[in-house]
Amino acid sequence: MTFLPTLGALVMLVLMRGRPLLYKYTALATTAAVFVLSLVMVFKFNQNTASFQFIEKVNWIPRLGSSYHMGVDGISVLLILLTTLLSLVIIPASWNYIKDRELSFFAAFLFLETGMIGTFCARDLLLFYVFWELMLIPMYFIIGVWGGPRRIYAALKFFLFTMAGSVLMLVAIVAIAYLARPNHFAAPVFDLDQLQNAVFSFPVQLAAFLAFFIAFAIKVPMWPVHTWLPDAHVEAPTAGSVILAGVLLKMGGYGIIRFCIPLFPDAAAAAVPYILILSIIAIIYGALLSLVQKDLKKLVAYSSVSHMGFVTGGIFALNIIGVEGGVLVMFSHGLLTGSLFLLVGFAYERLHTREISAMGGLASPFPVLASFLLFFTLASLGLPGLSGFVGEFLSLLGLFSYNKAMAVIAAGGIILAAAYLLWMYLRTMFTETRDEKWFKLSDLNLREISALVPLGALAVWVGVYPATFLNIINPSVTRLVHQMAPYMAQHGNFLTRFLAALGGRL
Amino acid sequence: MQHDVVAIVPELMLIATALLMMLIDPWVPRKERRGFSWLGILACATAAVSTWLSRGEQFTTFSHGIALDKFTVFFKLLLLAVAVLAMLLSEQHLELKGRLLGDYYALILLATVGLMVMAESIDLVTFFVGLELMSLASYVLAGFFRRNSRSIEASLKYFLTGSFASGIVLFGMALLYGVSGSTNYEEIGTAIRIGPVDGHVIVIAIVLLIGGFAFKVAAAPFHSWAPDVYQGAPTPVAAFLSVGPKIGAFAVIIKFFTIILGSEHARWAPLLIAVAIATMLTGATMALLQRDLKRMLAFSSIAHVGYLLLAVVAMGENINSFGDSSILFYLAAYAAMNMGAFGVLVFLANSGKFGDSLDEMAGLGRRYPGAAGVMTVFMFSLAGIPPTAGFLAKFYLFAAVVDAGLAWLAVVGVLFSVVSAFYYLRVIVYMYMREPEAETAAAMEPTGKRSWDLTLGLGLATAVVVVMGILPGPVLTAAQDAVAKILGS
Repeated sequence: MTFLPTLGALVMLVLMRGRPLLYKYTALATTAAVFVLSLVMVFKFNQNTASFQFIEKVNWIPRLGSSYHMGVDGISVLLILLTTLLSLVIIPASWNYIKDRELSFFAAFLFLETGMIGTFCARDLLLFYVFWELMLIPMYFIIGVWGGPRRIYAALKFFLFTMAGSVLMLVAIVAIAYLARPNHFAAPVFDLDQLQNAVFSFPVQLAAFLAFFIAFAIKVPMWPVHTWLPDAHVEAPTAGSVILAGVLLKMGGYGIIRFCIPLFPDAAAAAVPYILILSIIAIIYGALLSLVQKDLKKLVAYSSVSHMGFVTGGIFALNIIGVEGGVLVMFSHGLLTGSLFLLVGFAYERLHTREISAMGGLASPFPVLASFLLFFTLASLGLPGLSGFVGEFLSLLGLFSYNKAMAVIAAGGIILAAAYLLWMYLRTMFTETRDEKWFKLSDLNLREISALVPLGALAVWVGVYPATFLNIINPSVTRLVHQMAPYMAQHGNFLTRFLAALGGRL
Repeated sequence: MQHDVVAIVPELMLIATALLMMLIDPWVPRKERRGFSWLGILACATAAVSTWLSRGEQFTTFSHGIALDKFTVFFKLLLLAVAVLAMLLSEQHLELKGRLLGDYYALILLATVGLMVMAESIDLVTFFVGLELMSLASYVLAGFFRRNSRSIEASLKYFLTGSFASGIVLFGMALLYGVSGSTNYEEIGTAIRIGPVDGHVIVIAIVLLIGGFAFKVAAAPFHSWAPDVYQGAPTPVAAFLSVGPKIGAFAVIIKFFTIILGSEHARWAPLLIAVAIATMLTGATMALLQRDLKRMLAFSSIAHVGYLLLAVVAMGENINSFGDSSILFYLAAYAAMNMGAFGVLVFLANSGKFGDSLDEMAGLGRRYPGAAGVMTVFMFSLAGIPPTAGFLAKFYLFAAVVDAGLAWLAVVGVLFSVVSAFYYLRVIVYMYMREPEAETAAAMEPTGKRSWDLTLGLGLATAVVVVMGILPGPVLTAAQDAVAKILGS
């Protein structure tokens, strides 16, 4: 399944030069096939166990102790579903959007899909790193070749930020792989199943944890390493933004859950309060910045920073509710922000502007667009019954049981979200229609609607009956939290008391 | 006695072919000179076969002057591959410049022989003979376009600094001979280890040797000849010079710092660390400033030498370190990707009025999708991004550094590699994300000529880079086996 998109891309590149319809349909068929496969995987997935399933294991570089070892647990399954769905919908969404070098554009997305699925499946650290970096290449081209006017700056910034984080992670990977060897002549250990049992001393854990965490925090992105995000989003083409926000940001959260916490439990427990503080800063800071944005895409981009704060906040509360909430926020944020970027893109194709001030009264010329935007805006600001609410609520509950003051501050982020999103909606859709010419433009067509509907339907599903999704991730989350419990007891008490004292003085 | 010959059969073949080429060159009409390249490749191929057949051997010969072991075989095969690649890249370029001569191929072969002798030598004198053979041939190669003043400047600069460096190495070797009374690596090593030896003399010898080698591999602070030479030399020659001599020199460095100076690790490691950091710093930062691609690649190769020196330090740190095998693997990956990158420049120079500047790369993705595509692979590989050979090479090398307990050096190294990613990516930016100025676009119109040699060479380099990046197993195994038992140690 991982390599099906690559195969599709290669077929397209080799056989279908200069036949736009043919390669577009091939791209569509490939992503659809991958999506169906991922659905099959979800249905066959055994929800009662936390152990990894659908395991593939082949020797890769035996001398380096590295193997092609793939497998999924509940968290991976959910994120893979998100990946394949978003990859599917962006194909029709960018059907006519790209005018230049279309073939390479679609091929790049298929390569990207391979990288993303591989990252979520890899059970070998070296393999994981290869896929992780592999994603950079197509994304770099997508931003740099098909992006906006400042695309080169944005693409380079994106690449170098991510790379700076990940090379440190590489050193940490190497260090732990060699420290985990049973003796000095054995091959290094990259396999996660074996690394899980290795015990590292606290200083090693701390250093490695930091290296991993910085890499993932850049991807999430957490405050203060988020600055690449607005640039990348604003310059990226619509489909690029969708994947960037929908999937690539989730890599950070996923990496934290999969690697940072279980491999270095001691250090993770010690870092909890600091990371929570950073998460809360991200929530509030992202929301405040969203309030003042003039560009629609930038607004959505900063709102991502804020929403992702709930992800890290929920995860590092390190109780079952919080982690489940964090994962669910990732899933729903992928759906909602993905759709918001799609909508902004559709509006841009018609109006050729993303300035909020240049819009206004779009609801009368574009009623369908307006209703979709309303739906996703409401979902995004956490309207109960839609997906945004469930995840953030769970995440807040998790935070609340860790520390009440923090949860209260974080909840402020939701209020701010309502403020910036509704205000944005008011300014763009209502008030007077700015330009009479807009009435001559067509509303969303069937192709565009077909891209939005599945996302919306899933958003409702998650909002109304989240149990479907929570059941999938529950065993894995429970295992993680149980693994962490003794460490949290060791570190947690002291720091909770410390923070409570701090809160009391304030 | 039969052993003596077995060990040097490949070298003899190359020398015979080189002499034959020079002999028949005047009688071959201009139009039929294309065959020289294939004659050279044929010679290298047979030499490679005979090297391959001797891969199970393990002995020293010529009064302990040269060793035939897996280490030697690995290096010989690598050097022969480099020579073949260099010849594939050259032909059309030489023809267009009106310098398609048999001498050129003879010189490449002779330089290769010199390098092979360096790699197999376990005696100071033998090593020096190889070094000089290689150096003299490459001085001439650098100045092969004798009507081009830059080429002559390159040759002269290379000659002056190179012979100066040879002198310095010779001084260091003389001191080693002085303290041990032998020119054999193993005997010197034993003498130093057992002592008594004057520590000051050893320190001076180490400083001189490191200085001399730094010249040869273009490590800071003795790197400044490299950009000028690579820029001025004919591009295929620059491709060869940026790879071949480094491979030979690192083969010698590995032997010097294990067999001879293995016991003196505490004395040379700090100096080498300083040199390595300075080298990475100069390479990475100076490459940022270059607008000329050949100069950029020159500084980039300086940065790569910096990484390799880190592995040398790691290698000496403890007996189990795999720093040495990581150097071998890195050299193989580096050879493919660096020669490939230069090869693309050759291709561009052949197809139009290409002046090696970054601006002329603008819009290349449209005009030459193939060339731009392989250049992208080489750039990502040089930057160390998976799934390319460059990534695994860098990974394995830094793994050796971390394993040797020098994690901080690895961190310094990877940070420099982030800096260097910037200038590799910039090439890609120009190729795909910028449109050319009108006049460069006109000057760069394809001439329609095509060289199968060049295409084959670039294809091979790309294939190696990609295959080594995805399935590194065989090369990695070969590199590890090659260092398992180096004769004389």
